[in-house]
Amino acid sequence: MSSKPLYVMLCSGEHEKIQLAAMVASVAAVSDRPVEVFVTMNAVLAFERGKSPAERYQGGHFHEMFKTQNVPDAIELFGQGKMLGEMKMWACSMVLDLKHWECDKHLTEDLFDGPMGLAKFLADAETGELVTI
Amino acid sequence: MAERQKIDARGAFCPGPLMELIAALKLADIGDEVDVWSSDKGSASDIPAWCAKVGHAVVETSEHDGYWSVVVRKAK
Repeated sequence: MSSKPLYVMLCSGEHEKIQLAAMVASVAAVSDRPVEVFVTMNAVLAFERGKSPAERYQGGHFHEMFKTQNVPDAIELFGQGKMLGEMKMWACSMVLDLKHWECDKHLTEDLFDGPMGLAKFLADAETGELVTI
Repeated sequence: MAERQKIDARGAFCPGPLMELIAALKLADIGDEVDVWSSDKGSASDIPAWCAKVGHAVVETSEHDGYWSVVVRKAK
């Protein structure tokens, strides 16, 4: 039987917070728990298409250790969560509007299920548990 | 006939060994076993907890020189 869905609101652009969100979301998804991730504010910038890891991830005490040691890449972890579990990712429609970006042109390939508004995400999140990072 | 596959995930940090195990189990047949080697200290407790949650069987867990071996049997 599936667990209560987990909703993750990722708003920080700090490397270690994006890493934590990727770990929480992917491990929950592969543990038979439906997961939805809403990416907003500075966090959206880390998912810009074509960025190298050095450009993508910034800040946090563990940032340098993540880069130099064998820590799974956050984008790859999100991808594994989607591939091996039940997980959806949504990009904040307000941020996309401000940046004049579209999911399928400006964000990392094959990761996002589309844009979503905050009200819809919050309404959906009433069915499960919401974590904000 | 059931098979046992070894995954050497030593050097990978959390949740790398668990994700490698899950990917291997996806491709395995029911009854097959996967022996994960991990130097990540959390794996010795994380992998059995994950198996209990999703319904696979832990055959054995053993500590070796700087790493843990966790053998999991695919049960469903």
